[in-house]
Amino acid sequence: MPGTAIIAAEGVSKRFDTHEVLTRVSLSVAEREVVCVVGPSGSGKTTLLRCFALLETPSEGRVVMDGQVIATSEPTPAIKKAGRVVRANIGMVFQHFNLWPHMSVLENVIEAPMLVRGLKRKDAVAVADRLLDKVGLSDKRDAYPGRLSGGQQQRVAIARALAMSPKVMLFDEPTSALDPELRREVLLVMRQLAAEGMTMLVVTHEMGFARHVGTRVVFMDRGEIVEESVPAQFFGSPRTERAQRFLQQFED
Amino acid sequence: MFKYQFRWDVIPNNLDFLFSGLNTTLILSALTLVLAMIGGLVIALLDMSRYRPVRLVGVGFGEVIRNTPILVQLLWVYYVLPIVFSLRIDAFTALVIGLTVYQSAFISEVYRAGIQAVPKGHREAAQVLGLTQIQAFRRIVLPQAIRMTLPPLASNFVQLIKFSSLGAVISVTEITRRGMELSSSTFRPLEIFTFIAVVYFFICWPLAMAIRLWERRLALR
Repeated sequence: MPGTAIIAAEGVSKRFDTHEVLTRVSLSVAEREVVCVVGPSGSGKTTLLRCFALLETPSEGRVVMDGQVIATSEPTPAIKKAGRVVRANIGMVFQHFNLWPHMSVLENVIEAPMLVRGLKRKDAVAVADRLLDKVGLSDKRDAYPGRLSGGQQQRVAIARALAMSPKVMLFDEPTSALDPELRREVLLVMRQLAAEGMTMLVVTHEMGFARHVGTRVVFMDRGEIVEESVPAQFFGSPRTERAQRFLQQFED
Repeated sequence: MFKYQFRWDVIPNNLDFLFSGLNTTLILSALTLVLAMIGGLVIALLDMSRYRPVRLVGVGFGEVIRNTPILVQLLWVYYVLPIVFSLRIDAFTALVIGLTVYQSAFISEVYRAGIQAVPKGHREAAQVLGLTQIQAFRRIVLPQAIRMTLPPLASNFVQLIKFSSLGAVISVTEITRRGMELSSSTFRPLEIFTFIAVVYFFICWPLAMAIRLWERRLALR
């Protein structure tokens, strides 16, 4: 396993009212790793990702980034402050893109670098142009999101997250809302990112991506991590019965 | 059958008198609109507060105001408020207070609907990118909410201009009151009130049209 841990969940549980969605989950992502989280729907994958993104507060346990606690069930002011400081270093891509429809593609990408990092517009635009070129959308820089296909919107969303130069990128089922023919373009961009050494945590139903791009596969079911191994082993000979049953669904 | 002899010269002969009332109507409407837009925001923020007692105050106030007649509220402000609080308020101030309170309660609903119509994901995207709550509200939520609130806000403004005519009942000398005064001295109510209706129409209608156009241009984006 390469590198040191960048971000980690330590014994994280999450309850909504009395319903327990996550049960003492621990997961650490090291530098340059591409960790793919798979599992049936309702298994808590997305909630776990949202805890990493500081969009949900754990009911128990904590989230640690670069050795610093950034979220607990009852955060002290110091932890809240740490969370605010590192938040911009955690990039997130949503299932439903969540581009801001009243801003052009370019404006979507430069907004946070200017407001949060204090970049001058000129510098933010230079960064944005480079990233839009990278995701193959230079020609759409002045278009509004409503005029783009889902695949294009998701690629803009990736560029927007990358513009903050995050240390880790979280992906929440980035292709699930897309028509099959649009998935490829998004997966290609993600594959390229992985090849460049980006640290990634990907919740996905794309078994091909998990198998060929992932460095580690985490299988979740009913709020727990059931199995965790390298892709070849997970897809070749899953140890648990639950994982075997889950993988069978993708065979026919 | 229709024997009435229209005498339209009563209008040009008293144009200055009538238009002094129009002036009051316009000042009143503009002033009240500005105040009601602020008041509406305050009530909307109370409505959406994370503290239950604060929410109850906002919601309760809105419900009471929206479910009692504006005319009764105006009379209450004019006749009851001064006694309860032993104040002296002139008719114009009473009208501004009454209209502001009434419109605020409706505009707050407009804001609330506009803000809540912005998908939660847009705010989360801002949050994840490190924007503060205030930055996210100002840059992401508000611009979208404003777009959605424009048409209902415009119809509120039109309503406000029309409701300002109720000032006549508490002797505010806006255009309708001027018309009543002129009609009792000239005995020409048909000409006068027809003219006044036309004046209201030509204020409200272009306004509604202009905002509809603006809205369409925004939607084309």
